[in-house]
Amino acid sequence: MKNENINHNQDYKYGFTTDIESIKAPKGLSEKTIRFISKIKKEPKWMLDWRLKAFNRLKFLKEPDWQKPKFPKIDYQDLYYYSAPKGMTDKPKNLNEVDPKLIETYNKLGIPLNEQKKLSGVAVDAVFDSVSVATTFKDELTKKGIIFCPISEAIQKHSDLVKKYLGSVIPISDHYFATLNSAVFTDGSFVYIPPNTRCPMELSTYFRINASETGQFERTLIIADKGSYVSYLEGCTAPMRDENQLHAANVELIALDDAEIKYSTVQNWYPGDKNGVGGIYNFVTKRGACRGKNSKISWTQVETGSAITWKYPSCILQGDNSIGEFYSIAITNNHQKADTGTKMIHLGKNTKSKIISKGISAGKADNTYRGLVDIGRKALNSRNYTQCDSLLMGNKCGAHTVPYIKNKNSSSTIEHEATTSKINEEQLFYCNQRGLDQEEAVSLIVNGFCKDVLQQLPMEFAVEAQKLVGISLEGSVG
Amino acid sequence: MTNSFQVNSKEISKIKTTSKREKDFRIKNLNFFNKNGFPNKRHEDWKFSDLREIIYKNFKKLNTKNTSVKVKKINFIKDFDHNYVAIVNGELHSSNFKFEDKNKIKIKIFKNKNFSQENESNPLICLNHALANKGYHLEIKDNYKFKKTVIIYNLFTKDLKDSILNSRNKIKVGKNSELHTIDFIINESKHKFVNNVYENVALANNAVYKNICIQKDKSQGYFHKFSKNQLLSKSKYSTFIFPSGLRFNKLDLEFNLEGKDSECNLQSASFLNKDDHQEIKTKMNHLAPNCKSYQRVKNVLSSDGKGVYQGKIYVKNIAQKTDAYQLSKAMILSDNSEFDSKPELEIYADDVKCSHGSTSGKVDEDAIHYLMTRGLDKKESTKLLINGFLNEVIEMIKSNSVKNFVKGKLKKQIYGY
Amino acid sequence: MLEIKNLTASINNRDILKGLNISIKPGELHAIMGPNGSGKSTLANVLSGKNGYKISGEIRYEGKDLKEMSVDKRAQKGIFLAFQYPIEIPGVNTNNFLKTSLNKVRKARGEKEIDTMSFLKLLKEKSSELGIDEKMMSRQLNLGFSGGEKKKNEILQMKILKPNFVILDETDSGLDIDALKIVANGVNSYRDKKKSFLVITHYQRLLDYIKPDFVHVLSDGKIVKSGCMELAEELEKKGYNKIK
Ligand SMILES: Nc1ncnc2c1ncn2[C@@H]1O[C@H](COP(=O)(O)OP(=O)(O)OP(=O)(O)O)[C@@H](O)[C@H]1O
Ligand SMILES: [Mg+2]
Repeated sequence: MKNENINHNQDYKYGFTTDIESIKAPKGLSEKTIRFISKIKKEPKWMLDWRLKAFNRLKFLKEPDWQKPKFPKIDYQDLYYYSAPKGMTDKPKNLNEVDPKLIETYNKLGIPLNEQKKLSGVAVDAVFDSVSVATTFKDELTKKGIIFCPISEAIQKHSDLVKKYLGSVIPISDHYFATLNSAVFTDGSFVYIPPNTRCPMELSTYFRINASETGQFERTLIIADKGSYVSYLEGCTAPMRDENQLHAANVELIALDDAEIKYSTVQNWYPGDKNGVGGIYNFVTKRGACRGKNSKISWTQVETGSAITWKYPSCILQGDNSIGEFYSIAITNNHQKADTGTKMIHLGKNTKSKIISKGISAGKADNTYRGLVDIGRKALNSRNYTQCDSLLMGNKCGAHTVPYIKNKNSSSTIEHEATTSKINEEQLFYCNQRGLDQEEAVSLIVNGFCKDVLQQLPMEFAVEAQKLVGISLEGSVG
Repeated sequence: MTNSFQVNSKEISKIKTTSKREKDFRIKNLNFFNKNGFPNKRHEDWKFSDLREIIYKNFKKLNTKNTSVKVKKINFIKDFDHNYVAIVNGELHSSNFKFEDKNKIKIKIFKNKNFSQENESNPLICLNHALANKGYHLEIKDNYKFKKTVIIYNLFTKDLKDSILNSRNKIKVGKNSELHTIDFIINESKHKFVNNVYENVALANNAVYKNICIQKDKSQGYFHKFSKNQLLSKSKYSTFIFPSGLRFNKLDLEFNLEGKDSECNLQSASFLNKDDHQEIKTKMNHLAPNCKSYQRVKNVLSSDGKGVYQGKIYVKNIAQKTDAYQLSKAMILSDNSEFDSKPELEIYADDVKCSHGSTSGKVDEDAIHYLMTRGLDKKESTKLLINGFLNEVIEMIKSNSVKNFVKGKLKKQIYGY
Repeated sequence: MLEIKNLTASINNRDILKGLNISIKPGELHAIMGPNGSGKSTLANVLSGKNGYKISGEIRYEGKDLKEMSVDKRAQKGIFLAFQYPIEIPGVNTNNFLKTSLNKVRKARGEKEIDTMSFLKLLKEKSSELGIDEKMMSRQLNLGFSGGEKKKNEILQMKILKPNFVILDETDSGLDIDALKIVANGVNSYRDKKKSFLVITHYQRLLDYIKPDFVHVLSDGKIVKSGCMELAEELEKKGYNKIK
């Protein structure tokens, strides 16, 4: 393990490692590895076949290279695709069976798993490297017919649902990283909300990468059946390491008639040190299908971590009157790079989408918004509104806006606006005059700049996210 | 790429070349074109205009042979006094600068001397590099302000059929000089042909250049123009584009604001009707501090007309105090028409004001309603609104005679709606 | 309290203050009048420590040299500037802003942080004194406030932060007659032996209410005349041209 340089980045308070014995798949990407994962997870044969199909497909695909952040070649044979704390291969029945070190880790991260200390109003699925270690509030949810469990458990117990929906939004062979994920995904969360049910609490998954030289490939599948509602939160951290680590997740959302899914992410993977050494490559595919009439999917993301972030949470608006939303804050500092945005594909009639993106770039970082709004011929009376604002701090960083806009019928309207500017000196002066120092002033003004997005987050996350905005920019003004 | 669109390298031997360097340059570019063919939508720059598909659909073959340039008579515009340059099928035909001091003006057949080895990725530019052997070179010396506009008549003759023309033009405006031009395109051919132009405009310090580009009427031409423009310190470039009426038209315009305090203004208004496909692509490169750029592109789309705007603002890290703005607006009248845009910002300097807006949508129903309560029928109301929508750009033209001339042309275009 | 000697200031190669002297003792209220563009706001900015000016001369505040001190440190030491044009900061809640600011100042004074409940109580009390609708305080800072509301908000902040040295830059401009009285009362009730004021204004009316100890005329970057209330009355009658 190469983690002597822990002092590089003092601001990253989640940079510790948990010293725990783990079971790993043999290094490298091969059919053997996939069979190993499938076997250790006790998967049915169809699942293994599905994975192998993806793996075969992968051989014909190339890593995409159109995105702005370029990265050194990843040696896929030099990675572990499965790593689990010892004793976790069979999910423990209750917390007494969980290694105290793990519980301690989550306490340190501010995610207590113990029954007594559980976060109120939030059910948590805690994923450590490749496995889910605990899920809270399970009984309460079960009473309502809500399924909230690790996806590996769902594959065994709710095979029908998984079979029906897995890969239905992100096809097996979508693109390189999505296909890679389909072949080797290890764990993640599965959510099913039965018809006409409002999920009584926030559902949340907390991802933690611990082991070194290990990729995390989680898979999340959320199905909101007719007339249901769910709000789902995702948080992530990783230790500070000199090597780059790969995180290639797939998230699929399906909203049926009149259903609504709200998906929020606070992404704080280790960003690397001030010189750009180390950090997570966050290559994530997130896509939601508004399959039913009047359905709604809303993505909110606060992206502050990772060396490279590359993700476009998208909505396919199939059902008439369906709504897609994307609210994003992406902050890059030092050598971080982010290329993020969304796709809004309007297929049904009277569909609406809204995009609010706030990019903040400091240090030597690069921040790109890339997005597609496509209103099809048949998507009559549809609407999109897009607002992309970028803030630059210093002239060693970059801010880019790359929207693709297509309007193919005469009854739909698209409005797109974008601005780039620096932080207003007069605003800083005003804050200073009232006694705030430079960093507080910047944090305050930037939080104000991001307000439209922050207010979309559930309370539990909003406060945390606000702090994160300030911390991420520390040292960027001088 | 099917073989019918490959260009035989023998064509190059037919061109009078001056040096081995030139010949190698042409061959290299031809090879690139032959290898890649016409660009398709897999090319990022051609995402919205799949030229390969369009060419395959409309042409069986294309011949590169030079056509005759015999013209009996050019119908000069009588609306206002002007100088002129006449270009026939891309070739310099005649010119007249009767209102000006001739010592200050040089015009000659264009000769390329720049065989820069930079690799072009646009196959059409390569094709032009390989085959262009005509065009004009207009140079204005320092400290001279033109008294009258220069109209550049671009004539395309009847005998053009399945041909592809490659020409190259260059305009140089000296220090403190000022030139106004109107590109006026007259097409007599009833057949399909491709016109592929490479153009350079260079403005020295303090120079002013104003240009208007307009077509006489609808035609069967497939046009591609790449234009690379250089703006030195305090120079001002303004261009108005009213280009509709072609089967295919792509204007790929690159502006390099290399000198401090230079300014670029680009405005366009088009009415795109049946069978029209038009793309305006701009790249505004802010390379020096304190420069300004303003772009406004308006499109009205009817029938199966398709409009595309790809506009990029690039700001280099030293280009502080940049003020760059870009706006595209489209009015979509039919469910078969389409408007696509990609307004892009790439910014590396922090003390800048850069923004863009892009809207597309239907005609304002409330305005229609208002007009109808005043007794106009639906069609008339719509026409009135279209006119107003596009006129906003035309109103920016300073000269009244030119403005009225352009308005007249636009009215004719819309008339058919 | 404040001692300014031979102060010059320039910005973007433009000389604005050209050798200015002024001395303000604790408890005093000085008014500065002067034609547009004479440098009044510049003086206010320089005193508050705004960046970008080239400065020479001496500024002493409570005996200490101010020149090297940053804007926020000065504010924490009790210098308050009510801006001529208070800036709008989108997305920032007025309440939160004020609380953060107050806690910074309190911390610098060695007091402990104020909790939310007491803060809200204080805010309620002070805003009702100034006739400010409390609801305004939960809006974004100065955003969409009317001209007069912005000015009142500045006075409210003064009353909450409790500075020792207050600069009012044309706080009276844009206020209606009732608001002017309220603001003047706000200032008067805040005056005491220890606190000093520098009031920039164009109108005698405000001075009628707040009774300055001294009136100075600033013209072309210098104090060209000093006197007491009578000077303001004279100015009102005769205009600046006659004075020099
Ligand atoms: N950043 C700057 N760059 C150049 N000149 C400036 C700058 N700031 C102020 N000035 C000029 O300095 C002069 C003094 O400005 P200042 O704002 O101090 O005037 P003032 O006395 O407050 O006027 P008013 O009564 O109108 O508020 C003005 O002529 C102004 O234009
Ligand atoms: Mg002033």
